[in-house]
Amino acid sequence: MSWGRFDTRTIVLIPIAIAINIVLGQTVGTALKVPIYLDSIGTILVGILAGPVPGLVTGLLANLIWTYVLPAPFHSDYAAPFAIVAAEIGFVSGVLGQIGWFRGRPNTDPQRLILGAAVVIAVLLGIGYYGFLPFYTDGTFTFFGDTSVAGPFFTAVGYLIAIGIVGATVGLVTLMFVRRDLGVAYVAIGGLLCGILSAIISAPISAVVFGGVTGTGTDFLVAAFQQAGSDLQTAVFQQGLLSDPIDKTIEFFIAFVILQTLSRRFVARFPQGEKAVGLERA
Amino acid sequence: MLGLHGISYRYAGYAEPVLHEINLTLADGEIVGVVGANDAGKSTLCLVASGLAPGSIGGGLSGRLTIDGSDMAGRPLHEFSTRVGIAFQNPATQLSGVSGSVFEEVALGPMNLGLPARETVARTRAALTTLGIEDLREREPRHLSGGQAQLVVLASLLAMRPAHLVLDEPTAQLDPEGTRLVGEALRALAATGTGMLITEHKTDLLNRLCSRVVVIDAGRIVLDGPTAAVLADGRMEQWGVEPPSPIRLARALEARGLDPGLVAGALQ
Amino acid sequence: MPVWVILADDLEPADAREIERLVPATPSSYHRLNPLTKAVIAAVGSIGAFVAGGYIGPIVFDLVMLLLAVRAGVLGQLVRASLLLTAPIAISVVLVSVFTRAGTTVLFAIGPFDATAEGVDFAAQTLVRLFAISLSIGLFVMTTHPRAFVFDLERRGASPRVAFVALATIEAVPALVERAAVIGESQRARGLDTEGNLRARLRGLLPLIGPVIIGALTDVEERSLALESRAFSRPGRRHLLWTMRDTRWERLLRWGLMALLGAITLARISGRI
Repeated sequence: MSWGRFDTRTIVLIPIAIAINIVLGQTVGTALKVPIYLDSIGTILVGILAGPVPGLVTGLLANLIWTYVLPAPFHSDYAAPFAIVAAEIGFVSGVLGQIGWFRGRPNTDPQRLILGAAVVIAVLLGIGYYGFLPFYTDGTFTFFGDTSVAGPFFTAVGYLIAIGIVGATVGLVTLMFVRRDLGVAYVAIGGLLCGILSAIISAPISAVVFGGVTGTGTDFLVAAFQQAGSDLQTAVFQQGLLSDPIDKTIEFFIAFVILQTLSRRFVARFPQGEKAVGLERA
Repeated sequence: MLGLHGISYRYAGYAEPVLHEINLTLADGEIVGVVGANDAGKSTLCLVASGLAPGSIGGGLSGRLTIDGSDMAGRPLHEFSTRVGIAFQNPATQLSGVSGSVFEEVALGPMNLGLPARETVARTRAALTTLGIEDLREREPRHLSGGQAQLVVLASLLAMRPAHLVLDEPTAQLDPEGTRLVGEALRALAATGTGMLITEHKTDLLNRLCSRVVVIDAGRIVLDGPTAAVLADGRMEQWGVEPPSPIRLARALEARGLDPGLVAGALQ
Repeated sequence: MPVWVILADDLEPADAREIERLVPATPSSYHRLNPLTKAVIAAVGSIGAFVAGGYIGPIVFDLVMLLLAVRAGVLGQLVRASLLLTAPIAISVVLVSVFTRAGTTVLFAIGPFDATAEGVDFAAQTLVRLFAISLSIGLFVMTTHPRAFVFDLERRGASPRVAFVALATIEAVPALVERAAVIGESQRARGLDTEGNLRARLRGLLPLIGPVIIGALTDVEERSLALESRAFSRPGRRHLLWTMRDTRWERLLRWGLMALLGAITLARISGRI
């Protein structure tokens, strides 16, 4: 395991990466009011290309600079408290990049694709059924039991989550087979893990500092969970556990596609570039 | 004196070399032009001559790169910076992006060298004066025109006081006005005794500046000689190089049965 | 030469005048404080309001920041920016807390949503706290030039690389927006819709993100080579041309403020406030 390196190329990449975070984060999160953030793509790219520690430092600096250095109109008063979450995202991306989770695996043979699909389905449904459902539905709701004892809100949420998980699973497996690329499975599971971790770290910050809201599209989810009877901490965590895995999976995918688009020669010159995209395609 | 002795170079991840057995010397104060088709290896030659390949971009180098007689193999990059400066096509990507003024931009290199402030300021002033851009010193670098920005890039290199400059198509992305500005600056630089290696598609510019021109084809030097003789060589088009306009004009006249000597006389 | 700027001490008088012109303007005595002092004021204001909780602490910090803003001559600007930046989050806080927070004292109801006194109380506390954060940080940003702050940190031992990242980001953000505008323009010319309703805008956004990011990343290569040619990777410190003055009473003030923050934290932990 290597922590990564700050060569000149990485140092020059970091401000560009931070700019990508800020511009996309501000456009998507604040302006479009959709319940995802898209404010970490730059950090993820630095992690993948340069290593876990450069990723971590980029995340930290991004949020601190956003609040303490950047002048209007891009300045944000409220980014700094979340610096630790951004750091975690950069670190996780760096580790996953190093062990090759962002490599394209084109032309995977069908047997391995089917095996990969089975693993993805098992992981997604497992996390969904045992990890998510009980947490969102106060334990009274089960798909195969008597739904009349559960509150109508929880029944609705339960079915929505079920539909979401099944939809995501079908979409991912389709994508894997259409691209014939097992890499999709790695990216998806990586995004999911990173998202769950981010939700765990950011929920207390959001609840304690900001009363659970961020002024973006995720707030109505917090409101919905609180209305259904969750206390603030739980409502924020329930929102995060929905938004973050989806958001990180999308961001990991965008980073994955960008890596595939960039020239190999360019990527290979970063400290961790060759590990990130794999040597076998030389 | 900058010397490439039997240099071959291949990029990381590639088996085939891009440069083969290059032998080339650049004497102090000499201006050498490099021409050749796209992908002939001109830009790679520039990166090798300035130590960036393999210093920054990796890859495999064989042969020796010497500066003033000492072998540069394995030297850290910042040691190159005071001996060989390199400029590229696009001025926007060469500006550091951290300076509020042209003065600070030019001062950045000397500051990176850890020089005392007095020395930094003296070098910055001298570089701005040499290129005739003292009046830009308080301007914001990102609001300059392309030609002006390229002059700032050259001044930033000059402030490192390198004995050699490597210029990779320094006017390729400039409009005619910018090309004229940079062309004049290069002549001013030539007068300071800086040795320069310039790759260019615009052979007219080389025709006016260089004492010697080298032709590269498929990673090998195929011709090396005095400017007039090389640019008038009949094989230039076959190497993907457009001869300078006086030569093309003379050939066009000849093809129509006119005496090119008349035009040459009129141009003098 | 203004006393609050420290020029490198080995400069000729003519050079000193030249460097002086590069120093950003400092229109008030608050602007002229050392950047770290203002950063500590901002940190103590925002963290202090948060640690103190309740109403009194945050409101005191709100008032202090407003008074300092008057001193710095940026009151109008600060209040406007603070309201603008806090508005979206404030609206969310009010709606989410007032109507969906559990409570026993129902003030009024809209449909299934009960507005509770507990919700109003919670929203009000969050708001005064958010304004303390916003005013503290806004005042710092408005009275401190980023170059002055970054050079001050470098003088105190921060790596020149951190200084590079911070200053390069300031330019990279608008440059990226400009790039997006140029690419967006050319895509509109090719008939891609980037205006109109949300769905059309979302569809327009996706083909924009890729080229903008790829283009910005591709420039990294040449910029890093150009910087190598300017001794960027040489280890060691730099001699800065100018920095902001620091004084003994400012150092005392900083320690005093940090002690205050420590005291608030202790008081809070021990349950005295």
